[in-house]
Amino acid sequence: MKPDPQRMLELLAGALATDVMPNVQPRYRQTSVAILAGIALAAREEFERAAARRAEENAALRALFGASAEVVRDAGLGARLRAAAVTRDESLRVSALDASNQALRTLLIELHAHVETLVTPAARALDEAIWTELVSSAERRRLSAAPF
Amino acid sequence: MGDLAERFAAYAARRLAHARDVRVSGLDRIPGGASRETYRLVLHYEERGQEISRRLILRRDPPGSLIDTERRLEFGAYKAFAGSRVPVPEAIWLEEDPAHLDFPFCVMQELPGLEASPSVLLAPPYAQHREKLGAQKWRILGEIAKADPQQLGLVGLMKDVAPTECWRRELDYWEGVIDEDELEPQPIMRAVIRRLRRSPPPPAQKVSVVHGDYRTGNFLADTDGKIHAILDWEMAHLGDPLEDLAWGINPLWTNGTPQLAGGLLPKAEAVRHWEAASGLVADPAALLWWELFSCVKGQGIWVSSAREYQAGKNQDPILAMAGLLTYSQDRCALHLLGRLA
Repeated sequence: MKPDPQRMLELLAGALATDVMPNVQPRYRQTSVAILAGIALAAREEFERAAARRAEENAALRALFGASAEVVRDAGLGARLRAAAVTRDESLRVSALDASNQALRTLLIELHAHVETLVTPAARALDEAIWTELVSSAERRRLSAAPF
Repeated sequence: MGDLAERFAAYAARRLAHARDVRVSGLDRIPGGASRETYRLVLHYEERGQEISRRLILRRDPPGSLIDTERRLEFGAYKAFAGSRVPVPEAIWLEEDPAHLDFPFCVMQELPGLEASPSVLLAPPYAQHREKLGAQKWRILGEIAKADPQQLGLVGLMKDVAPTECWRRELDYWEGVIDEDELEPQPIMRAVIRRLRRSPPPPAQKVSVVHGDYRTGNFLADTDGKIHAILDWEMAHLGDPLEDLAWGINPLWTNGTPQLAGGLLPKAEAVRHWEAASGLVADPAALLWWELFSCVKGQGIWVSSAREYQAGKNQDPILAMAGLLTYSQDRCALHLLGRLA
C-alpha cells in the first residue's frame, strides 16, 4: 500500500495532535484526541513488526519445545510439546500468526509450571531458557513510548 | 452536558431541604479517571436568604470501567479520613440509585487551583519541589498505614482480613481477574503468580487501610509543593500496608525517571519516609513480594481495560491506552526479578 500505512498513521497522529486537538472542546475531549494520537503511533509501530515478531516468536517457541520434550516428566505434556515443535505457520496473516502464537504461549505456560517442579540440572537449564525467551518476548512487544 | 447539569440540579434540590433556585454552572468533565466519569461544577442556590455557590466534584460510574469498585467503600474512606493527618476533600453525597443520573455517583468538595497530573507535577514549576512532594507523599502513606481501621469506623464497611490472609485474598482476586479478562496468554505474569504462591510473604505487621491506588497522579498539590488531598480511594480495602507502599514504588509509575519512585524520590528514601511515619518496617523480602504482586494487580487492571475496549463496552480511548500497559507491566515484573535492566 502506498502511501505506506506507517506514514499515514504517523501523519494521522500528527494531525490529531496539532490540527484537531486544539480545536476540540471541552478539555476532556482534547485529552481523548491526544490519546487517540498516541494510539495511532502505537499502531504504526506494531504494524511494521506485527508479522515479524509473531513469526520469530513462534519459531523460538517451537525450538524451545523441541528441546524440552526430553526433559519433562509428564508423558502427555511431552507428546504435546513434540507435536507443537513440528507445526508450521501456514499463513503470514497476522490473525493466523496470532492464533498460533496464543496456542504456543499457552503451552509455554504449562511447560514452565511443570519445569518449575523438576530439580534436575537439565530442568534448571530449561527453566533459564524459558526465562530468556520470556525476556525476549517482552522486548518484542516493547512500545517506544511506553512508560517502562 | 446540559441535561446532566439539569438533572444534577434537580437531585441537589431534593437533597437540600431548605434550598431554593438550585442551578448548576460550569459543568466540565475532567480528563483521566477511567474508573469513574469525573466532572467539576458549581452548584448555586439560595438558602435562608443567602446566595450560596459551592464548587463540587461529581464522580459517576461509567458504563464500563477499568476496575470493579464499590463506591460505598470509596465514600467511606473519604469520610473516615476527614480531619485527620491524611488530607482528603470533603465527601458530601453518595447516591447509589441509578434513577437520578443513570449510574450511581458521589459528590465531593472541589479543591480548585491544585494539580494532580503527573506530567504537570514533574515539570516546572512543580518539579523544583520533587523532594518535598516525595517526602509528604510517602509520609502521608505512612499515616494511612498507621491509622487504626477500627477507630476510623471502616471495619465492617470494608471486609476484614486476618494478617496471615492479606496476601492470599489479594492474589486470589487479581489472578481471578486475569483469568476472566485476559485477551492473550500471560506467561510472564503466570510465572510471577506461581512464584508468589510458592513463597508467601510474612503475615502483615498489622491490618491497615490500603488506599489501593497510591501513586503520583492521585494527590493534589499546589505550586509550592504542598499536598492538599489524597484522591481516588475507589480500590481502598483492608490489608497489608506493604501493599500500598509496593504499588506506589512500582516501576510503572516512575514517569520516565526509573531511579525515582513515583518520579519523586529514590526508592530507599521513599521507604524511609514511610517507615518513619508508619512506625512499621518494610522488610526487603516482604516488600519485593508485594512489588511483584503489584505487577499482577496492574496486569489485572490492564487486561480488563483491554477487554472492555475491545468488546466496545466503553470506547473511551484511555482504556485502549491502558490496555497497552500490559507490555510495560511485564517488563516491570522482569525488572523486579532481576532479569531486565
